[in-house]
Amino acid sequence: MSDPYLRVEGLVKRFGPFTALGGVDLEVYPGEVHCLLGDNGAGKSTLIKTLSGVHEPTKGKIYIEGKPVKFRSPRDASDAGIGTVYQDLAINQLLSVTRNFFMGRELKGSFGTLRMDEMNQIAHDEMLKIGIDFSDPTQAVGTMSGGQRQTLAIARAIYFGAKVLILDEPTSALGQKQQMGVLKTIKKVRARGDIGIIFITHNEIHSRLVGDRFTFLALGQTIGSGTNSEINDEEMRRLMSGGAEMGDLKQELAAI
Amino acid sequence: MADQNEAGRLKQETALQKLLRRPEIGSFTVMLIIIVALSFASEGKSFNALGLKNNIAIIAQYGIIATGAAVLMIAGEFDLSIGSMIGFAGMAMSMMLKWGLPFGMGEATPFTAFIFTLAMTLIFGWLIGTVVVRSGLSSFIVTLAFLFFLRGVTEVSFRLINKSTQISGLPDYKEESWFANLLGGDVFGWFYDLWFMLGGNLNRKGAQWVDGFDARFLWWLIISAVAYFILSRTQFGNWIFATGDNKEAARANGVPVNRVKVTLFMFTAFCATMFAACQVFDTNTSDAAKGNLMELFAIAIAVVGGTLMTGGFGSIIGVVFGAITVGLVANAVFFIPAIDGAWFRVFLGAILLAAVFANERIRKRITGGI
Repeated sequence: MSDPYLRVEGLVKRFGPFTALGGVDLEVYPGEVHCLLGDNGAGKSTLIKTLSGVHEPTKGKIYIEGKPVKFRSPRDASDAGIGTVYQDLAINQLLSVTRNFFMGRELKGSFGTLRMDEMNQIAHDEMLKIGIDFSDPTQAVGTMSGGQRQTLAIARAIYFGAKVLILDEPTSALGQKQQMGVLKTIKKVRARGDIGIIFITHNEIHSRLVGDRFTFLALGQTIGSGTNSEINDEEMRRLMSGGAEMGDLKQELAAI
Repeated sequence: MADQNEAGRLKQETALQKLLRRPEIGSFTVMLIIIVALSFASEGKSFNALGLKNNIAIIAQYGIIATGAAVLMIAGEFDLSIGSMIGFAGMAMSMMLKWGLPFGMGEATPFTAFIFTLAMTLIFGWLIGTVVVRSGLSSFIVTLAFLFFLRGVTEVSFRLINKSTQISGLPDYKEESWFANLLGGDVFGWFYDLWFMLGGNLNRKGAQWVDGFDARFLWWLIISAVAYFILSRTQFGNWIFATGDNKEAARANGVPVNRVKVTLFMFTAFCATMFAACQVFDTNTSDAAKGNLMELFAIAIAVVGGTLMTGGFGSIIGVVFGAITVGLVANAVFFIPAIDGAWFRVFLGAILLAAVFANERIRKRITGGI
């Protein structure tokens, strides 16, 4: 087995007296989808914000290809190959697909002018690679569907050198068919073999469909982890509900 | 059904359809109507040699500040201090010309007076922008504070040093200084020469009537062209749009949002200074009330030209059309003496409201109705 691209060891993040993460371990391998599951408030958001350089960890280590790293800003993290696709996608609706794709990292010509044709071509090609043929990259993002916007954000992160792609609940606000579209995109990125994906979701079925490895968080702790074959459905349901036994829950519900 | 894909849902349009969907089409249509209506109502006077010059003079004035206001609005901020900045810049320049440079640095030339003034206004622009981005307060309230502050400073300085709130009778600097001539002299003389050679442009004695446009015409064209180029063809332009549309998204992608905004507040200050400089060197006068209400005209023209109040979208070409429309109507009373000048404001209010609705429709069309 190859080495993990990203390894997290005993990560602790405290906000004043509040412990958001109380020692989380995580390993992300190239060509694998690592599902991060947990209820609201389990610490998923804090974990990804720490990985993407928004927060600095209180304790614990982050390793990239075995070397310890420290992220002081989102820029550091993205330079280290961590591409985060947030829930709101960091996309501007009124701007064209191309202008969004290259936002902040535009290609410039000799006089500081934009190389628009080249940028249009790249935006089109990169999005085609992971799933959608977008005939006109000069149209505004506002005209795209939610799934297409996800694709744009993912293609952008990959093009700008992401080796670990963090997808923050990419399927949560979408319709059934578009959810499948996003899962297909995840599979396509996985098939490249050189990119590891952290897939954050609430949806057990989605994680089963694309996940290779699972980590379950509850109250800031890792309460379980394993590969797809190691964890059966029963176990998965138990871990997703924060460790409570399904049987207990059934009894509680029946008592009302 | 099976071979239908998402891309296929976007209707392919002809060139004409695309043209008709451009955001500038509304302001362009209004402009055409105004030009035609005004030509008839003024019996051609508004577009004879002198009429054209006078109309362009006010259009260029509006256009210069509206360009600054529009670019700033695209980045999602307002500047209500433009009018007071015009007053301040005019005061600073004329006082230096009359009383000499500050700190006993001797006599001012038009060039040094302009450079000193520009340095001050750019510092004010930087200060306004910095207060807005650091405090996170609405630019509406911060620039409203500077509207009062700068107007007050202008009046107080006039009274303290000059003992009067106006300066008139400065020497005609255009005669000797190439720099003053650049700001206050004539441009495009060849146009009127050609018109004269073709048998028009005659005064009552049969000699050539008008020699050229005011220099601010050229400055307006330059400022508009530069703004258009930056917005559509440069990285900074992309940052301006991104900043105004969704600040957080822009920031997450590495756009220096605060730097963009501060730069644009300095740009509106620059536009206000150019407005004032052209006025001072054209008329050789200044007055503490100069530029009053101009910030509101600038914003109105930007909106009439298709700029969104919420930022992220706008067009310099639209602003050019807007400036022409508003400038022509503002001047109409001089060519059609029968009408009451106050109708101008009635008209401006009406097209402003119409433009806001039209812009909102465009925004909804682009964002899919959200």
